[in-house]
Amino acid sequence: MGGLEDSGPPLKRVKESSGEAKISFRNSICFESPASSLGVPMPRSLHSQGDGAMTGTTGVMRKQEFVKIITRALYSLGYNRTGALLEEESGVPLHTPMVSRFMKEVQEGRWDESVVTLHEIGVSKDDVKSASFVILEQKFLELLQKGRASDALNTLRNEITPLGINVNEVHKLAARVVFHSSSAPSTNGAVPVSSRADVLEKLEKVLPPAVIVPEKRLEHLVKLALDVQRDSCVFHNTFDSEFSLYADHQCGRNKIPSQTHQILQAHSDEVWFLEFSHNGRYLASTSKDHSAIIWEVKEDGEVFVKHKLVGHQKPVSIVSWSPDDSQFLTCGQEEVIRCWSLHSGECLQVYEKPGLGLISCGWLPDGRGVLSGVTDKSIILWDVDGRELECWKGQRTIKISDMAVTSDGKRIISICRDNAILLLDRQAKMERLLEEDQVITSFSLSRDNRFLLVNLINQEIHLWSIEGDLKVVSKYKGHKRSRFIIRSCFGGSDQAFIASGSEDSQVYIWHRSTGEHLVALPGHSGAVNCVSWNPANPHMLASASDDRSVRIWGIGSVGFKSSIANTSSNGCSNGNSNGFIRRSFGRR
Amino acid sequence: MGKLFAITLDGRVYSCKHCETHLSLAEDLMSRNFSSRHGKAYLFDKVVNVTVGEKEERLMITGMHTVVDIFCVGCGSIVGWKYEAAHDKDQKYKEGKFILERFKVLGPDGGIYLPVVEGHDSGSEED
Repeated sequence: MGGLEDSGPPLKRVKESSGEAKISFRNSICFESPASSLGVPMPRSLHSQGDGAMTGTTGVMRKQEFVKIITRALYSLGYNRTGALLEEESGVPLHTPMVSRFMKEVQEGRWDESVVTLHEIGVSKDDVKSASFVILEQKFLELLQKGRASDALNTLRNEITPLGINVNEVHKLAARVVFHSSSAPSTNGAVPVSSRADVLEKLEKVLPPAVIVPEKRLEHLVKLALDVQRDSCVFHNTFDSEFSLYADHQCGRNKIPSQTHQILQAHSDEVWFLEFSHNGRYLASTSKDHSAIIWEVKEDGEVFVKHKLVGHQKPVSIVSWSPDDSQFLTCGQEEVIRCWSLHSGECLQVYEKPGLGLISCGWLPDGRGVLSGVTDKSIILWDVDGRELECWKGQRTIKISDMAVTSDGKRIISICRDNAILLLDRQAKMERLLEEDQVITSFSLSRDNRFLLVNLINQEIHLWSIEGDLKVVSKYKGHKRSRFIIRSCFGGSDQAFIASGSEDSQVYIWHRSTGEHLVALPGHSGAVNCVSWNPANPHMLASASDDRSVRIWGIGSVGFKSSIANTSSNGCSNGNSNGFIRRSFGRR
Repeated sequence: MGKLFAITLDGRVYSCKHCETHLSLAEDLMSRNFSSRHGKAYLFDKVVNVTVGEKEERLMITGMHTVVDIFCVGCGSIVGWKYEAAHDKDQKYKEGKFILERFKVLGPDGGIYLPVVEGHDSGSEED
């Protein structure tokens, strides 16, 4: 290689040698080591010692590659001058002149020239074919668009087909010609043609990345790193990804609701169940005192009584919110189901089965009907006016049973045997059985209908995937359960956490994907029967306990308020017509 | 006490005398020839709706055994014990099985049992 000076500082010499190498050695397959797969001796064996060095904190990156992706990023950001300066200063050109010429030709639509240049870049025959196909396909489509159908057909026959690849695509293109000629020539909306920039992107994918550095490569690598940080951040519980690139992301433990913000005392007996409405603005709690209470959640997070709903003659075991939150159902234990209006607190309807008791309830998604499990093990569907529409007889549900309906109304989920859950597909008339080794005590359905959280008698909680094959994906342990129904739920931002009550009076929280137990929150003075995480506020958690109170948990050390509900001023609603407010006191 | 989780059994059921929580089925009864401080006791293959106490070594007529007391989940009263381990080889058949004291349960026909006071004060025994 003539024209090189041997004198001069080694650094300078090495830079020039790499400049040399770029012209004659088509660094399309550019490994800096002399044992290049090209098999052609490098003019300067020193080439490998200069910029061919590895860099990065553990020497894991090739310096040349690193500089190139930075250069590419600079051009993407629009800093053309800086990009050019970097190429010059580092001596690492982004693309070889041949490649630059190729890209320019593609950009300008000079297809035939670009194909010629392509052959000179020095990539494998297969890559040449694939890239030629992309270019010629674009040529073909643009010709069609301009109405030059015969030229397009020529291209297809004489240039594209001889390549001998992508036969299916070739047929599709041929079909386009037919379609195009049969419709008005001016309807170019029917043939969508990619832009030239899209073509370059396709070529980037087809050719080896060392030939054309992929455009958003640096951004992609940074995003991967952020994803890894986010996944390994077990306490991650924020709405927006407030990621800074300056330091690794790590949420503190304080992002999980773990401080008592409010103690709500309005029930006169054990609180067995609670659930936030879908919009997170209301909380419904039910109690052994035969009542249910609707709490309103203010903007500042304060929770206070909106309605106290009386009418059931038995402890109220469950609440189910309508899909639009305007109504909700309460189920008395082996008794009746009542439907209430959220706005007025009035009892709108009573669903019952004479001679039998109802044990669970759920809504059809558009509010068109109400489902319920019955003590005779069947499941009934009523319309909103209380007329029975359908009945599934047989072993569909057991006495202590939960019921859920997926939000699309397609599947009914119910515990049908001690250790099995029935997944009943209403449309497909298909039934699947989820079977466990241990007795199942309760379950909870995820908001996206794809997962089921199953509580077992042996104090384990299993997370099942119920879309496609039924399988356990995670297990959670640590809480205590030996006598009662203890409920667990999904929660937090992206439903990344699992929370559960426990008979040791604490609230337990686990990281959903790793199964790691994060916190156990003391505070209640009785078994915690149920928890619910506010779907609209990842920092708010509510718990229901045998100590007759509901606790609201949040982040930060806010002084908590203890509120004893002033039921007289907030409007008591009665299910009875005689207006008598029934209070029952537990045997304590 | 929260919302009780109690399994409902089908068939001829033995249940807790105080709260009628189901404990076992007649078909799981293995032997009637056991006795405890309160009189007769039955050996069952399987019992539900009980919680267990601490492990204890107890000397019985038939030898040393590791047992745990069992309590009804409905009312918490003691209803018998479970054999965790038997030290003698020919007693091994009891391991994992349960004893329900006849005095603490209602039989399938609802009958209660009046205990025979035998004056023993040394733990439980078996024939």
